[in-house]
Amino acid sequence: MEKTVVKIENLVKRYKELIALDHFSLEIKEGEIFGLLGPNGSGKTTTINCLLSLLSFDKGTVEIFGEKMTPVNYRIKKDIGVIMQNVAVFDEMTVYENIDYFCGLYITDKKVRKQYVDDAVKFVGLEDFLKFYPKKLSGGLLRRLNIACGIAHKPKLIILDEPTVAVDPQSRNKILEGIQELNKNGATIIYTSHYMEEIEQICTRIAIMDKGKKIAEGTTDQLKKMVKNTETETIEILDIPEAVMEEIRDLPHVYNASHDGNDLVISCSGGKHNLIRILQVLQKNELSFGRVYTTLPTLNDVFLEITGTELRDKED
Amino acid sequence: MFLHNFKYEILHSLRVKDLIFWLILFPIVLGAFFKIAFSGIYEKTEKFSTVPIAVVESTEDKIFHSVMDSIEQSDDPLFKVTYTDEEKAMDMLKKQKVLGIIRIDGKEKSLSVSGEGIEQTIIKSFLEQYAVQEQIITDTVMTDPQNVETVVSALNSEVSSTENIPLTEGDPDPYVSYFYNLIAMVALFGSVTGLHIAMENQANLHPLGARKNCSPTPKFVSLTASLLGSFVVQAVCVIVSVSYIAFVLKIDFGSRLPLVYVSGILGGILGVSMGFMVGSFGSMKEGAKSAICMSVSMLCCFFSGLMVGNMKALVAEKAPWFNEINPAALISDTFYCLEIYSGYDRYIEKNITMAIISVIFIIIGFLLTRRKKYASL
Repeated sequence: MEKTVVKIENLVKRYKELIALDHFSLEIKEGEIFGLLGPNGSGKTTTINCLLSLLSFDKGTVEIFGEKMTPVNYRIKKDIGVIMQNVAVFDEMTVYENIDYFCGLYITDKKVRKQYVDDAVKFVGLEDFLKFYPKKLSGGLLRRLNIACGIAHKPKLIILDEPTVAVDPQSRNKILEGIQELNKNGATIIYTSHYMEEIEQICTRIAIMDKGKKIAEGTTDQLKKMVKNTETETIEILDIPEAVMEEIRDLPHVYNASHDGNDLVISCSGGKHNLIRILQVLQKNELSFGRVYTTLPTLNDVFLEITGTELRDKED
Repeated sequence: MFLHNFKYEILHSLRVKDLIFWLILFPIVLGAFFKIAFSGIYEKTEKFSTVPIAVVESTEDKIFHSVMDSIEQSDDPLFKVTYTDEEKAMDMLKKQKVLGIIRIDGKEKSLSVSGEGIEQTIIKSFLEQYAVQEQIITDTVMTDPQNVETVVSALNSEVSSTENIPLTEGDPDPYVSYFYNLIAMVALFGSVTGLHIAMENQANLHPLGARKNCSPTPKFVSLTASLLGSFVVQAVCVIVSVSYIAFVLKIDFGSRLPLVYVSGILGGILGVSMGFMVGSFGSMKEGAKSAICMSVSMLCCFFSGLMVGNMKALVAEKAPWFNEINPAALISDTFYCLEIYSGYDRYIEKNITMAIISVIFIIIGFLLTRRKKYASL
């Protein structure tokens, strides 16, 4: 049976009138890459800060590795690696010194520490920048240094709070691949982001948050099943008679069809061979069409389905 | 973990450019400025040399002669007198061998000087004063001979009232005091280091604080190591500054230079502690706290007389208690004690006061940063 690494129960955190966390509960198993997805201000970072005992909370309990998490539970802290949203490195220390310093807060044995630091440098690909000062690094490299500082001591639980904010696509991919590799090496990962593509790409299980509440939880597939719209067919077509539109709307599993500009957009709910049936209707009516493509539901659709607003709208 | 933190605090502090500027470069530049700006004035006003004059006597004036002899024979003679004739005197004046010629012709005394300056003014003032006093005595002899003794005694008491009455072993030198205050300022600039330590160890004030608070290193260990590391860096900076002032600018701190180092280092510790306490207060951003810290330091220096020479005396008159708790005044006071007093009682007392205030600042800082969880981040 998989061990529970993190257990949060009924967490409530208030900032005066604002309820930042509203009876939030969560259980994360060993070996998971657990994603916390939600718009800005949904309570992801507050959850992480309460989890790490940095923030006080009004109600609830937090357990890590089966023990109550407190600010002075150094035994637990030893096995946690944290990569915060804000880059936290010393500008006056080189890449190597920064990693060595933060690793030294966890590992006292010098030989072991040296090995760990070398491994971390290699892991984030900063071998050529060891003597560089952070100010000389690009945004992506700086983020990688930030990660190296958080994981150099080889923690069992790694918490990454939006580690790819303002990072170029190449560095972002490198970071995401790294996280998956850390997970393969045995670490349990908690990953927060408002980028649903990232969460979808790497997380084995996801909790969607909004206004301090967990509004959904499950694997990507489980979450997508919560959405009525299971696939959207888009067909390039110049003009389409209303009678044909009605015929398409009457097809099984089709619950919405519209012609917007040059695109015929059909939303389907469940079922198989939906696209074939639609194309057969068009052929039968001798209508010519251009490109055809199918879009599967995203986590944004899940969020939209549950909250009535889009995840992206909230970010703005 | 302690040594690890200690080592990296030193490494980190020595690379903070702002710190190096304020703690090493700034005192070097300001010290050089003081040397250039004040040494000229100092030499001209405070340490003027004996003024060479020539006296041309057409008729002999025994009283004037004896007055000039007594002046020449004093420990710190005002004049070096050459008795000569008019021709040679003029020649000496042209060649600047003398700066003035006093001519005595009966009761009349006239003066020729080579130009305008402090020395020439001194000769003129002396002659005027001599003439006035001579006239007073002559008039008294003529009009009220029985009171001559009283008048002479009154004139003597006027002279004695302007004499220096030594109360202590030495005199505070206003020129050197600028450098004392400079050392005090360097010591107080250590408050910036203390401020950074407080900030960088609190999760709600700095991202580094959040990261450190997540680690298994206890906050007490981390803070203590950082404070000790910064004390070492501060001590190095004070040593560099004092050495530069003493050996490069050649400012004479007397025979007690090692004790100047001791007080400077203790002052540095006081500065760091003050910054640590200020940094621990409230949840203001780093910029605001730095501004407060620098303002407090500058204000302390102002009231200790760094910017206005007699400010410290003014504070001593109006609010003497403030000088007893003003860190800048305390630091510079220890130096004055070394200069003025032969014993060490006052010096030790001032150093103990500094140590006590440092400990109080550190305790307050620890109490304010002991918080384990924060209400907001």
